[in-house]
Amino acid sequence: MKEMLPFKWARGAVASALIGAVALVGGVPTAVQADETCMSPYMAKIVGQEDFVYVWTLGVEGMGDEQDKLVTISVNPDADDYGEVVHIVSVGGRNEAHHSGLSDDRRFLWAGGLDSNKIFIFDVHSNPREPSLHKVITNFVDKTGGMVGPHTFYALPGRIMVSALSNNVDHGGRTGMAEYTSEGEFVAAHWFPTDDDLRGADKTGNFADGYGYDVRVLPRRNVMLTSSFTGWSNYMMDFGQMLSDPEAMKRFGNTMVVWDLHTRKPKKVFDVPGAPLEIRCAWSGTNNYCFTTTALTSKIWLIYEDKDGEWQADEVADIGDPSKVPLPVDISITADDQGLWVQTFMDGKTRYFDISDPHNPKQTYEHEIGSQVNMISQSWDGKRAYFTTSLLGSWDKTGKDDEQWFKLYHWNGKKLDHQFTIDFYQLKLGRAHQMRFGAYSLYSQAPNSSDTMLSQVEQ
Amino acid sequence: MIINMLKLYAWSLFLFFCCIFISSSTILLADDDGVDKEAVFGPGDRKHGYDKESYVTNSLSVTARKGKQADLLQFFNEIPLGLPKMKLPGGSTMTEEKISLGRRLFFDRRLSLNDTFSCAICHIPEQGFTNNELATALGFEGRSVKRNSPTIYNVGYYNVFFHDAREDSLEQQVWSPLLARNEMANPSIGYVINKIKRIKEYEGLFEAAFDGKGLTMETVGEALSSYQRTLNSANSRFDQWYYAKQEDALTEDEKAGFALFTGKGKCSACHLINEEYALFTDNLLHNTGHGYAVSMGIQPEKTRVQLAPGVFVNVDTEIIDSVRQSPKQNDVGLYTITQNPFDRWKFRTPILRNVALTAPYMHDGAFTNLRKVVEFYNQGGVPNELLSPLISPLNLTEQEIDQLVAFMLSLTGDNIEILVADGFAAPIGDIRTQDPNWAHDSEFKTE
Ligand code: HEC
Ligand code: HEC
Repeated sequence: MKEMLPFKWARGAVASALIGAVALVGGVPTAVQADETCMSPYMAKIVGQEDFVYVWTLGVEGMGDEQDKLVTISVNPDADDYGEVVHIVSVGGRNEAHHSGLSDDRRFLWAGGLDSNKIFIFDVHSNPREPSLHKVITNFVDKTGGMVGPHTFYALPGRIMVSALSNNVDHGGRTGMAEYTSEGEFVAAHWFPTDDDLRGADKTGNFADGYGYDVRVLPRRNVMLTSSFTGWSNYMMDFGQMLSDPEAMKRFGNTMVVWDLHTRKPKKVFDVPGAPLEIRCAWSGTNNYCFTTTALTSKIWLIYEDKDGEWQADEVADIGDPSKVPLPVDISITADDQGLWVQTFMDGKTRYFDISDPHNPKQTYEHEIGSQVNMISQSWDGKRAYFTTSLLGSWDKTGKDDEQWFKLYHWNGKKLDHQFTIDFYQLKLGRAHQMRFGAYSLYSQAPNSSDTMLSQVEQ
Repeated sequence: MIINMLKLYAWSLFLFFCCIFISSSTILLADDDGVDKEAVFGPGDRKHGYDKESYVTNSLSVTARKGKQADLLQFFNEIPLGLPKMKLPGGSTMTEEKISLGRRLFFDRRLSLNDTFSCAICHIPEQGFTNNELATALGFEGRSVKRNSPTIYNVGYYNVFFHDAREDSLEQQVWSPLLARNEMANPSIGYVINKIKRIKEYEGLFEAAFDGKGLTMETVGEALSSYQRTLNSANSRFDQWYYAKQEDALTEDEKAGFALFTGKGKCSACHLINEEYALFTDNLLHNTGHGYAVSMGIQPEKTRVQLAPGVFVNVDTEIIDSVRQSPKQNDVGLYTITQNPFDRWKFRTPILRNVALTAPYMHDGAFTNLRKVVEFYNQGGVPNELLSPLISPLNLTEQEIDQLVAFMLSLTGDNIEILVADGFAAPIGDIRTQDPNWAHDSEFKTE
């Protein structure tokens, strides 16, 4: 297993960061068309059509086997079972299945439970059609010294960075991120800066709350970015109950942190009020910026490097009518950095923003996908967009509005065209959440994996 | 330059609000003994002034939450001034072994079905051994508990436990949270016993603490109760003034507040104070009208929801209800236990010691600060056919309300730092690879 890694961690983080930087300066490799645009630049890339989408799915009490599962959907139109669920791995427990992420070599899919703190590592390379449970990490909280709610799994060279949401002392929002090797060995804990311990970071505004959510990197600038959501007590709470509990509503993140990627040291803490969630960085070698959206205040924020090489955070657009709290959730940037898809959970819409001027995004299209919508994964060529519904077990809508599905749309640059829907409740699967792509092509060329951006640079 | 000035401005604003907060709520700043005082008196994630746009964080890191183990038995053997000697159930004794075992259990998250809930997750040391951040508790898998987590300070002085007094023994009480599906969700008593048996840290501890009796349903209860019976906190400034006759221990306003508490305010009719000690409870249940109002009240059409510091919106309550997973749970209090219609909306009188540290208040955490509680009493509670005859409009002036609040803020015990620091030092039992779990027992390789 180890010997098949596409490159060796031994080169060290610094070297890898530099390699990453070079890789991206050349722009997007032309061969790549199929892959998701929100992946780590360190990751192996799919060439051609993706074959599968892996959906990390929450179990529902009283439905089917009641537990979380990884659901594999066949999405290659050439396949006989196109548009069907082809495989299910049940993992035991309702762990509050949330996000998942692939290792740099893309052989393993890490999927976390925000409640149980378990991390399930699936082997997706031995048989991409039928992933199997390879390993379960149960001691995340103990190893990290008290982090709760493993959220984002983000590939760095030979490593997985796992950002958390909460802690084991008060189930509030103060937290950090943890670094593991791709094999699942714990390496280090990095706590988010708080006022008593800014860890060398500059508190540029009023807030340093120590909250966490997403993590993304811009290797060419040696930058890592983190955002901030809320702690266990809120993300596990009945959504209606939380909205009417004024104390609970005070406990959302209002910060983003810019880190030095290779030293893992926080550099700047920015005020980004209203729970900044997903971070998506531009791909082009000259676009030194990333976007985020704030869930509660419904804004698009741009985190960018200014002319003087200083990082800044600016509010650049409203999403829908913020006074109606549309609740922007997942976002997805197009590979050419020209468009940003933004999902709004409450009205079930996806909205396309023209971001050709990143300081001035303009909404140019919107479409209602269903009664509720959360995640989007688009293909690298932007032609396919997959959608799922679930936000959190206790936050999803209720009654007939609690639709749970996986949908594929085609995008022609002007309009979304619905292709197929898989009803997760009808199949007694549960609540569909995070999606990741799989493809046979990734592994047929192993062990050299010549399709990773990094290995292309190395050649 | 301008940025620096802005920062200075922000800081002065911050200090200003800080002062308001400190002066209006606590006193807590005792002398220096090495423990981070700020960290033991409230959540490390401080949100004072969050309703204003000028809010500035002053957060503490989780990793700095370090403590010091205390000799807890002393707080049982030498009861702090203002409290009576504590009675133990027949035949029971207090020992260091039992206390330390109970303390380990209290902080052990493995005592729940999915290894995420200890007693201390709802009874958090620095949050007054309650939860200051939630009106009503949240348990296993985020399931709602309809009531506010009460403090564990001085809990050994109750004759009856829970807001509705459904339990009358601390030893028995512990099994309610352990087995409740919305708290720690263990499927059975046997499950809990067997799980503890398989956790290495407990090897031999029950045998040693309980004279060969070992690990049983009773000894789990006794160990946890032993720890809880040491969390006795008094010798507050009020006690020093009232019982030790130190004239200057209270300010004039606080003394005036005491006079109101025992006089015009009629508070001590239920929150008892006598010449030797003050429990501030009669261990009885009363209808103050609060439970009635919550059960029978009409919901407002709009709910004010905070989105960020200083940012609020009014959301249609209908929209909020559309994302409510289950309807708000009703609570009829003692009636639920007796089925006697005359017991509707009766709740047990809580001990008011350390009340500065135990917000939010009442059985449902509806009141976020003490002033709101006093205003509630001042209007005569909420009239209903079963309202306690001891409650009626008080005609307190604004100054008198402040004085009553000031008095209640003087009830903070002098050993809080020691008890909380001891809680910080307690081992948090998080699951490790040698602990019971299917993922450890199967062919799966784990760390
Ligand atoms: C999910 C949160 C939660 C957990 C976990 C929890 N408690 Fe509680 N506790 C509460 C709530 C809420 C109440 C009040 C319940 C009621 O009145 O119905 C309570 C009441 C109590 C009381 C009664 C206090 C009084 O004033 O009558 C004691 C004692 C207590 N808990 C101890 C414990 C112990 C010991 C454990 C661990 C074995 C524990 N709790 C676990 C939330 C919790
Ligand atoms: C009739 C008896 C009675 C009287 C008189 C009374 N209380 Fe109470 N008090 C109670 C009961 C019962 C509760 C619990 C109510 C609930 O949980 O809904 C309570 C709750 C409280 C609480 C909340 C404590 C907590 O931890 O939640 C405070 C503070 C308080 N009372 C202060 C006062 C003050 C001040 C007065 C006088 C102005 C007063 N009480 C008069 C019975 C009484």
